[in-house]
Amino acid sequence: MAFPAIAIYSFLYLYPALSNLLYSTQRWDGVTKPKFVGLTNFIHLLTNDDLFLKVLGNNIRFTLIVVVLQTCLGLLFATFLTKNTKTTIFLRTVYFFPTILSSVSVGLIWTFLYDPNYGFINATLKAIGLDKFALNWLGDSKYSLYAVAFTQIWFHTGQMVVIYVAGLQQIPAELYEAAEVDGATRWQQFKNVTWPMALPTTAVVVAYTTIQTFRAFDLIYAMTQGGPLNSSDLLVTMVYNTAFVGYKFGYAATQTIFLVILVMLVTWLQRRVLKTNDGTKR
Amino acid sequence: MKTKGLSTFASLRAGVVALVATALVITPLAVAHAADAPTFGKACTTEGVSTGQMTTSLICATGTNGKLTWQRVRLGADNATPVGTSTPPKGTIEFHHWRPEDKVVLQAIIDKYQAKYPGTYINQVIMSSVDYTNLAYAKISANKKAALFVTSRGGQFNQFYAGGMLASLANQRFIKQNVIQSALTPGIVNGVVYGLPYQSLFNNPLYNSELFAKNGWKVPTTWTQTLAFCKTAKAAGYIPFAWPGATRGNAGQIINSFLMNSAPDLATLTARITAIDTGKADLTEPWFVEIANKYKAMTDAGCFPANPTGYNDTVAPADFAAGKAAIYPTGTFGMSTVTKLNPAMSGKMKMMSLITVDTKPLYQGITNNTFILSVNAKSSSSDQKIAASFMSFLAQAENAQAYAVGTSQHVSIINVDYSANVDLLNTSDIMGKKLLLAPRFLFNNVNNVRNPLEDALIAITGGADVMKTLTDTSKTIKQGLSS
Repeated sequence: MAFPAIAIYSFLYLYPALSNLLYSTQRWDGVTKPKFVGLTNFIHLLTNDDLFLKVLGNNIRFTLIVVVLQTCLGLLFATFLTKNTKTTIFLRTVYFFPTILSSVSVGLIWTFLYDPNYGFINATLKAIGLDKFALNWLGDSKYSLYAVAFTQIWFHTGQMVVIYVAGLQQIPAELYEAAEVDGATRWQQFKNVTWPMALPTTAVVVAYTTIQTFRAFDLIYAMTQGGPLNSSDLLVTMVYNTAFVGYKFGYAATQTIFLVILVMLVTWLQRRVLKTNDGTKR
Repeated sequence: MKTKGLSTFASLRAGVVALVATALVITPLAVAHAADAPTFGKACTTEGVSTGQMTTSLICATGTNGKLTWQRVRLGADNATPVGTSTPPKGTIEFHHWRPEDKVVLQAIIDKYQAKYPGTYINQVIMSSVDYTNLAYAKISANKKAALFVTSRGGQFNQFYAGGMLASLANQRFIKQNVIQSALTPGIVNGVVYGLPYQSLFNNPLYNSELFAKNGWKVPTTWTQTLAFCKTAKAAGYIPFAWPGATRGNAGQIINSFLMNSAPDLATLTARITAIDTGKADLTEPWFVEIANKYKAMTDAGCFPANPTGYNDTVAPADFAAGKAAIYPTGTFGMSTVTKLNPAMSGKMKMMSLITVDTKPLYQGITNNTFILSVNAKSSSSDQKIAASFMSFLAQAENAQAYAVGTSQHVSIINVDYSANVDLLNTSDIMGKKLLLAPRFLFNNVNNVRNPLEDALIAITGGADVMKTLTDTSKTIKQGLSS
C-alpha cells in the first residue's frame, strides 16, 4: 500500500536530492558532459570564495532580523486580535491582506515606495523635516538588505498573526481568570500564561518564517537583484545566478548543499532554544 | 466680387514673390549642400561612415588611389541582388522566441507566409525573456519540432553551439545576398554562419531633440563637451542623463561607449577585455581605472540623476518621456517604452554618440546584432527546410520592413525602408557612422566578470572609492572564475 507514496516521494524528492549530491562533485555547464572533480567545489567554496561568505553573512542577518521582528510583531498583533469581534476580524483580514499578493507585485510596489527621488517614504520624511533620514534605501549597500527585510516582514506578518490567533485562542480562559484572581497584571499574564502556552505556536511561526527567509528569492530579485555590490544577495539568489547566469551547475549544487545544511542547523537550534524555554529540555 | 478679385490677385502676387524669394534662398543652399553631399568617387573624410543600408548606398573607404573616397557600399557577401524565399516542403514547425511584444507582427508575417505556401505552418512558442534565458536550451534540445529558434548574442548562442543544436546556414543564398554581412558576426563560429542576427540595435544614448533646440544646446561630441553639457543642463533644472543605475542591464549599456574609444585599436581592446574576462588582468589596469574615473567625473559633473544607484529603469524612461531628462542613455530598443509612456515623444528622439575622448574618436557609436535566428540541427531534414525557408521569408526587405516598423526595431536586412516609423527613421543616421559591435558582450563570463565589473562602476557613481572598489571586485572576479 505504501509503494505508490514511496515511489512518488523517491521520484520527486529523493532522486533530485541525490542528483544534487552527485552534481556537487562535478564541474558541469549544463550542456557538455559533466566532469568529476571530487570535493574541489566544497574546498573552493569554503576556502576561496569571499562572496559566498559575504552572502552567507547577509542571509544570517536577514534571517535574524526577519524572524525576530516578524515573530514579535505577529505575537503582539495577535494578542490584541484574539477575541472574535467584528473589528478584530476586520483587522485580521487587513493584516493578512499582503500575504495574498504576489511577491513580485509586492517587490515592485515597495521599489516605488523606496525610490530615493520620487518615493512615498522619502517624500514623507522630507515633508516632516526629516530630510537626513531620506536615504537611498535600495541603492545604498548599507541599507538595501534592511529595506528588503522590512518588506519581507510587512509581507508575511499578517500570516503569522493568523497562526498566532489560532494558537492563542486555544489557551483555556480559566488560566487568565485564575491569574486575575491572583492579582496578576496584564504583563504578568502575558509572561506567565500567554508566552509559555504560545510556545508551540511560536515554534511553528519561527520555523515557518525561517524557511521563508531562505526562500525570499522573488522579493530580492524584484527589488534589488542582490545589489548593490551583492549587499542584498541571499544564498538562494546566489545559487540561481551561479546555475542559470554562470552555467556552473556543479558549483551551484555545492552551494545548495550548504543552504540545506544551514536551514537544518538553524531549525535545529531554534527547536532546542524553544524547547528549553518550554521547560521540556531534552 | 471686384474686391474679392483684387484680393485674389494680391494674394497670388504675394505668393509668387514669396516663391521667388524662397527659390533664391534655397538654390544656393541646395547647391552648397550638393557640393558636400556624398557623391560616388568624390573625396570623403571619415573612413567607415556610409549613407545607409540600401544597395544604392555609398561608403567612405580607401580607394585604389589610396585616398578616402565615396564608393558603392557592399552590404551583402557579393554585389548580387537579394534572392526570394526558398520553397518549403509541407509540414508544421515551431518557432521559439522570447518577444511576446512581437507576437502580433510576427503572426501577420507568418499568416502571409502560410498563405503563400499552403500546407506549411509555423507555430510561435513564446516565453518571457527571463524564462527563455533559463529554459530555452532544455526545452528546445528536447523538442525536434522546435526547428526555428532564436538566441541572444554571446553566452546563449555559444551554449546552443556547444550543444550541437545549430545547423549551418553557410550555403543559404539569402544569408549571403539579403543580409548585411557586418551584422552576421555574432552568428558566426569559426567562419561558418550558424545564426542570422535579425535585429540591429544601436546601444547609444537617445536625446530629446526638442529639449535641445528649446534650450539652445548642442549635442556634445567630445568628452569635455559632454561634461560641460551636464553642468549646463543640470543648472537649467534638467537631469542630463537619465541613467538607470539601479537596473544593471540598462545601466551597463554606456560601458559600450566608454570601451569603444578606450584603446588605440580593436585588437588591443579585444585583448584587454579578454584578459579581464579570463582572469589574466585586474580591473586595476590603468586603462580600466581611467574608465572608472570617467564614471566618477560624470557623477561629479552632475551628469547622472540624484541617488543614481537607486534610480531604476522604470523611472528613467518616465523622466525622459516627461521632458525632465535630456538624454536616455540606453539604445534604440528604449524608444518604444518612451513613446508608450508619452506618445508625444514620437519624432522627438534622436541618437547621439557618447564620446569619451577629446581626440578624434576611433568609433562613433555602438551597434549590436541579436535575436539570432537559427535552424535546429536536431530537427528532421524536412523541418529544417521549412525553418530555413521561413527565415528567408523574414529576410525579404518588405517583410523585414513590416517587422521593423511594427516593432520599432532596426533590422539587419538590406534595402529596408524605415520611413514609415518616424523614430526608426530619425535614428537611422547612426547607421552611417563608424560603429563598433557592442564590446560589452565580449565579456563572456556574465556572472563572474561582467556583472561584478558593472556593479563596481555603478557603485563608483554612488560614491564608492574607485581604487578600493576595483581592487575588491578584481578579487571577487578571480575567485569566481576559479570556481
